[in-house]
Amino acid sequence: MTLVLALDTATEECAVGLGEWDGAAMTVFGETNLDVPRAALTHLVPAIDRLLKDCGARIDRVGAVVCGRGPGSFTGVRIGVATAKGIASGLAVPLYGVGTLDAIARRFADHDTLVGVVGDAMRKEVYPALFRCRGGRLERLGGYEVIPPEVAAARWARDAGTGPILLAGNGLAKYADVFTAALGDRARLTPRADWTPTGTSLLLQAYAGASALSGAGPEAGDGDPATLLPIYTRLSDAEEAERSKCGASGSGDPAAAGTDVPSSGVTGPGSGRP
Amino acid sequence: MGEIVSIRTRGDAQTAEAGRRLAALLMPDDVLSLSGDLGAGKTCLVQGIAGGLGVKGHVASPTFNILLVHHGRLTLNHMDLYRLDRADQLEDIDFFATLESGGVTAIEWGDKFPGAMPDDRLEVAIRLGGRETDRVLDLDGTGPRSASLARAWASACSDLSGGEGA
Repeated sequence: MTLVLALDTATEECAVGLGEWDGAAMTVFGETNLDVPRAALTHLVPAIDRLLKDCGARIDRVGAVVCGRGPGSFTGVRIGVATAKGIASGLAVPLYGVGTLDAIARRFADHDTLVGVVGDAMRKEVYPALFRCRGGRLERLGGYEVIPPEVAAARWARDAGTGPILLAGNGLAKYADVFTAALGDRARLTPRADWTPTGTSLLLQAYAGASALSGAGPEAGDGDPATLLPIYTRLSDAEEAERSKCGASGSGDPAAAGTDVPSSGVTGPGSGRP
Repeated sequence: MGEIVSIRTRGDAQTAEAGRRLAALLMPDDVLSLSGDLGAGKTCLVQGIAGGLGVKGHVASPTFNILLVHHGRLTLNHMDLYRLDRADQLEDIDFFATLESGGVTAIEWGDKFPGAMPDDRLEVAIRLGGRETDRVLDLDGTGPRSASLARAWASACSDLSGGEGA
């Protein structure tokens, strides 16, 4: 039995969840989801504290930490990942990562459908990710990227079969019309309240399909709080150069390059460098 | 690029008054890029804007803090990019999300990273006028919203230095 604390601040939602993993299933004890745009820093730790109290739990009983790695707000992701690293390091327990877009899609995993998650990347761009949901299972069809909403919408309209696509994600606040125009009557806009990760969806996504506490995929990392990094997707030239110089090579798994994101957080061209 | 219109002020009090009149015209996500030498009156102008937005308390120069956030009718994000060395440091201060957070953003030394600026922004270049305390604010709206804002603001300030002894 492992008490698991999950958090994500990559969107305007400060999402915190507490659950228990028994090796086969996740029992969610409670969650706190606060709509606090650009104010996660002041709300996150008090929200964790309150949730633990409400559940009758103590921080020193937590046996694993899960955090959303983005992509999302740069500052939001950093606040969440840094806080999670601090907690996991202090408790000497493993830290696992979850893709923020994946945790959003997880809310629709019980549907038998495609789910298109559109994260707001600012500067007239989005983080689009398409998922196939079936019987509670969730599969991401492709890697993370940052592109104009028109490009993402046209690609989904062209490549993503013919069935309906559930649309979610905070990028829709600005670009819902772009996607509904491109997808026509295939577009199924979900309620705005469902566009962010929740404490529950983070917990479920982190352990879905996992046979042990090793997490659900390459983005989960290896449990070491020191090496888990945010998923940025849009690296500055300077950061690209620095990572290349430092020899950041991601997970070292060649199969992960291109479509998956190693725990080092580098995606795209940076992930394949020696 | 829109045509450049100008506002003339006499002294800090009038520069601040111009800011107050601008405040009445501002809408969410408006971006102002302020340039001008040290002492030209950039912070003075922003203090007027803050006053017009109903911000309580002192509005200091953000040169040290880089970003100071004030709450009024609209949230006022007051930035000073002077101490940043590279454009990628803009991510460290959450620059792009701040611009789109539903408030108004006034950026001092905004001309430092032209590539990072939003397409539609009101550029305000403050230069010295005829007398030591005279200032000329050259307004350049780079998109439809900011161009209309520039015209409305200039029109709202047409009386400022028009009369002698104002």
